[in-house]
Amino acid sequence: MIRMEASFQWAWLIPALPLLSFLIIGFITKKWPKLSSTISIAAILTSFVLAVWVDFGVFASGVGAELVEKPYQHVVNWLTFSGVPWGLSAAPLNIEFGTLIDPLSAMMLFVVTLVASLVQIYSVGYMHGDKGYSRYFAYQSLFAMSMLGLVLSTNLLQLFIFWELVGLCSYLLIGFWFFKPSAREAAKKAFMTTRVGDFGLLLGILFLLNKFGTLNFVQLFHMMTPEVKAMVAVGGVSYLTLTAFLVFIGPIGKSGQFPLHVWLPDAMEGPTPVSALIHAATMVVAGVYLIARIYFLFQGASPAALEFVASLGGFTAIFAASIAIAQNDIKRILAYSTLSQLGYMVMALGVGSLTAGMFHLMTHAFFKALMFLGAGSVIHALHEKQDIWEMGGLWKKMRITGTTFAIGVLAIAGVPPLAGFFSKDEILSAALHNGHPVLFGIGLFTAMLTAFYMTRLFVIAFMGPEKAENHPHESPWVMTLPLVILAFFSIVGGWAGIPEHGFAYFVRPWGSEFEPEAMNWLVAGPSIIVGLAGIILSYIVYYGKASDPVEAAFPRVYKVLKNKYYVDEFYLWIIKHIVDGIGKVLYWFDIYIVDGIVDGLAWIARSLGSLFRRAQTGQLQVYAIIFFVALIVLFLAVTYGEGQLHALNPLALGGGK
Amino acid sequence: MNAQYALLAPEITLAVVGLVIFSVGLLIPKGSRQGMVPLTVLGILVTMAVAGAQFFSNVNGSFLDGMYLADNYASFFKLLFLAAALLVVLSSTEYVQKLPAHRGEFYGLILFAALGMMVMAGSGDLITLYVGLELMTISFYVLVAYLSEDGKSGEAGLKYLILGAVSSAVLLYGVSFLYGLTGSTVITEIAAKLGSGMSPATILALLLVLAGFSFKISLIPFHMWAPDIYEGAPVPITAYLAVASKAAGFAALVRVMLVGLKAQALDGNVAVALAVLIGLTMIAGNLMAIPQKNFKRMMAYSSISQAGYIAVGLLAGTPDGVKGVLFYSMIYVFANMGAFTVATVVSTAQGSDEIKDFAGLARRSPLAAVVMTVSLLSMAGIPPLAGFVGKFYLFKALLDQGWVPLVFIAFVMSMVSVYYYLLVTRTMYMEEGADLPKIGVSGATKFTLLVTMLVTLFLGIYPSPLAKMATIAAASLFR
Amino acid sequence: MNFSLTVGLPHYLLVGAMLFCFGLYGVFSKKNAIAVLMSLELMLNAVNINLIAFNRFLWNNPVEGTKHLLLNGHVSAIFVIVVAAAEVAVGLALVISIYRSRLSANVDELDWLKW
Repeated sequence: MIRMEASFQWAWLIPALPLLSFLIIGFITKKWPKLSSTISIAAILTSFVLAVWVDFGVFASGVGAELVEKPYQHVVNWLTFSGVPWGLSAAPLNIEFGTLIDPLSAMMLFVVTLVASLVQIYSVGYMHGDKGYSRYFAYQSLFAMSMLGLVLSTNLLQLFIFWELVGLCSYLLIGFWFFKPSAREAAKKAFMTTRVGDFGLLLGILFLLNKFGTLNFVQLFHMMTPEVKAMVAVGGVSYLTLTAFLVFIGPIGKSGQFPLHVWLPDAMEGPTPVSALIHAATMVVAGVYLIARIYFLFQGASPAALEFVASLGGFTAIFAASIAIAQNDIKRILAYSTLSQLGYMVMALGVGSLTAGMFHLMTHAFFKALMFLGAGSVIHALHEKQDIWEMGGLWKKMRITGTTFAIGVLAIAGVPPLAGFFSKDEILSAALHNGHPVLFGIGLFTAMLTAFYMTRLFVIAFMGPEKAENHPHESPWVMTLPLVILAFFSIVGGWAGIPEHGFAYFVRPWGSEFEPEAMNWLVAGPSIIVGLAGIILSYIVYYGKASDPVEAAFPRVYKVLKNKYYVDEFYLWIIKHIVDGIGKVLYWFDIYIVDGIVDGLAWIARSLGSLFRRAQTGQLQVYAIIFFVALIVLFLAVTYGEGQLHALNPLALGGGK
Repeated sequence: MNAQYALLAPEITLAVVGLVIFSVGLLIPKGSRQGMVPLTVLGILVTMAVAGAQFFSNVNGSFLDGMYLADNYASFFKLLFLAAALLVVLSSTEYVQKLPAHRGEFYGLILFAALGMMVMAGSGDLITLYVGLELMTISFYVLVAYLSEDGKSGEAGLKYLILGAVSSAVLLYGVSFLYGLTGSTVITEIAAKLGSGMSPATILALLLVLAGFSFKISLIPFHMWAPDIYEGAPVPITAYLAVASKAAGFAALVRVMLVGLKAQALDGNVAVALAVLIGLTMIAGNLMAIPQKNFKRMMAYSSISQAGYIAVGLLAGTPDGVKGVLFYSMIYVFANMGAFTVATVVSTAQGSDEIKDFAGLARRSPLAAVVMTVSLLSMAGIPPLAGFVGKFYLFKALLDQGWVPLVFIAFVMSMVSVYYYLLVTRTMYMEEGADLPKIGVSGATKFTLLVTMLVTLFLGIYPSPLAKMATIAAASLFR
Repeated sequence: MNFSLTVGLPHYLLVGAMLFCFGLYGVFSKKNAIAVLMSLELMLNAVNINLIAFNRFLWNNPVEGTKHLLLNGHVSAIFVIVVAAAEVAVGLALVISIYRSRLSANVDELDWLKW
């Protein structure tokens, strides 16, 4: 029996309070904007305090290490099924709702509540005077609730429900300014693209349910016996590997991994604080968190599964980083940087270090939220200008925003002793240690690219020549205060990894041994060097320039990068040719797999529907004839169709008793 | 033969209320019929109390040697029909104000249709069942054709009448063979006499009965009437048809198939044929809903596909399956009534019910838009709404019986259904609808909207109470 | 040549089946709504023939345990007749209502509702 802190049983309040605030705003206080925002912020701040209380119980009182072995669960039954036990489970299927607390979820609670609180406070300034002010805060509360519920989930079904809610909320917030067609389109794209991933995840969940008869994480973890690992699904692929692949499709969509990354840069159409929330603490990290939560599944699967995860992560990291170099929209640069950093996290999980992945998730949440909010502050000051070449000279006019943004840039570039340095170092050394030299190289190169394009952003926007038509001024304190707090965490956030019983001691896979690891200067050295090299190079190239010198030097490469390797165009092209060409059924399947899945499917369903409905002639005598013919066919089939119907059985219906 | 008339208390109460409403409607002069709605509501509530008392005190008796049964299964369905009737009455108050006259008959007919359904759910004898069925259907013929000015309404009424009569003739023809084979029309005795025998005559009788009921619950290809009639009927009546008439069909079908003909219906070819019908219903129903422009017509196809989902529980044939049928039918009442009440509101204000008329509803009447969204998403089975739980119960019951591919079809098709449900949502939230009027909802309509939405949300988050009731009711069927 | 005609259950059932099919044919093919309603009556009367014929022969050879239900078929037939009368009454009312608005009672012109 583990010791239990009093705070743990109150953990359910952490998502419940934002939900309450959502309901209050939605039903009662909608007409009073000030009151709505106050309620929302009060709720999330209370959740934050509760989360800190819980974290105190986990990390400070010494039960943390025990929780890695035996996570604390508090559950109520939700759906009860009578009847036979399912799969390998000894008990009938029971789906419960509850809260699961271990160092991993505790860490996430802290990050999510902190970032959500700061974003909401910041929004008071940023959204001031917007027509949908109350609605905005209602969505924010719902968003926070969904993400916190997801973090605390005890089983995959509960997680999936909140996963979908997170998707719904981001749809609502990205499309918040729904009168803008681009916002509508972006919201739709985000929703549809992630749904593709969700489908895979759902299939994976069904596979697990079918075999194990339970979806509870702890129970599943204990079922990972060698016999289970040896089970074969089809063609020599083990059952767990297949399931792991299916489940991983979910994070590919949610966490913007290639090739389902297209929605994330477009998601910029929402208000900037929303982007901060989506990129730092909620939507996109949900995928990474899911992988970490069911990490035992990937460990049980064949090495190919993790190999695949790592390669995809590494590819996304370098792919997105290279695109970011050629972007001019400040929010787009940050968006591609998020994609790249997400790739980093996924790569870390893939090379076998849950610790490194989650560590980077945490530090990234701090500095990415910081930079997005900083970008929001700049856009606010320049009246919705987003092109960095139209900025310049902000450094002198916006001291607080400038300084904090610089801290964010240094943190993401991996300059010690800022947060990004420590987590990036963990990832790189994990890659090298676990025998992935190529990924290590990719990681190192991406680190340099990251330093390069972030410095480019800073040098052009903040230190470039001042523009006469701009009259920037520093933002009000409600917007700068969150920046200062986040800057603080961007500096000290990485220090959690320094003590021997630090981050790595607590956040590690269930049931694994803790191996203390000293700082590896062989890895850290090159990482610092490439980081600094990227910064200096970028400074030399861009300082004082009024247009992009790289574009002039390498026009072809630049164009490819600027157009994001034409992935969006590629998807569009495929879609176009599908609609036009009737004979291109094979292409159609390409779309089906990639981006046009929804458009294509809808088209097919629509045409089939139109075809079927032609039978509906409005002639009642035709209806009567169809009725009777159906009856006769049914009778003949049942009476004389002995062989035929049974032949149909395994093919189309497989079944019966 | 002792006759415990107390067992018939809900039916007798409702019959008396219905007659009173009829006579009151005739006696009170045209201008001052304000009291009709409260009276009807009161009558339904009293009947609900009686039926509820029977359910919760576990009354399980039979009347006239098993010809009529008052068990938990029947009581559950009685509560369902009464809930549906109540919501229809409440949601249609403003709509009915606009009708030319004859309001008393409108409410009276709703009550008698409910009475017919209750008789269907409780009957243990096929002829009793037929009488209940016809009481319900004849009331519906009149209700569907109620808009005497509107040619579509009359056309729908006549179409429904002719096709409905054909289907009941087919059903009766099957019943007459069952009678000839067993010498009885009592369901339990038919089961005892038939045993597990399977002759062509039995199959013919079984399929005739199945076809007759399939018409009522609109399984494809016996569904042809549904879209036309749904479109032509007055909106509240469409809602009533979609939820209550369908549930009544299921109540009777499940009892006949699982008590009377279980050995034949769930064996070999018949089961496969049933599975094919269900699969076809789910696929074609959902696909045909997609290109629809008229809301009621879309909902007709949606309700066809919903019938496919519910029939899954019948095919499972286990207490768990029946529990799924009961649970889903009940939450379907609330989800569908929510959606149709919004449609009634829009139709009353704008005099039309095309999907494009819902444009900008989120701005014009936020409550209505929210209720519509919740209801549609519940029907699509999106968690955490009640529909998700219901589908989970149904599909799980079927999966236990090993029908994996059919479950897969059901699953994929519910995903497809999200598409056309979201089309409506998109129209409400994303389109301007600038020239359309603002819509105010008030009084009974607002109450209906809130109740349906809250029930749908509540049962999604905490389904246990209803699930328990459904379990008890399902158990009483198999005793 | 010994020619004798015994009319047994199959003959009655055959008459019933024929009547049912005539009715069905009428429903499928008649244009006038009144004629369709009459064809429906034929179908229901086929059922009645079945019920009464079955009852007559079950009376002579009762299935064990159903003695108290010996008149079941006759009673059922009466129920069917009553219900059918109610149905047709409503049907005729609807036909008249439609005739008033369209000046025609042909079922093939009832196609305002389709697709």
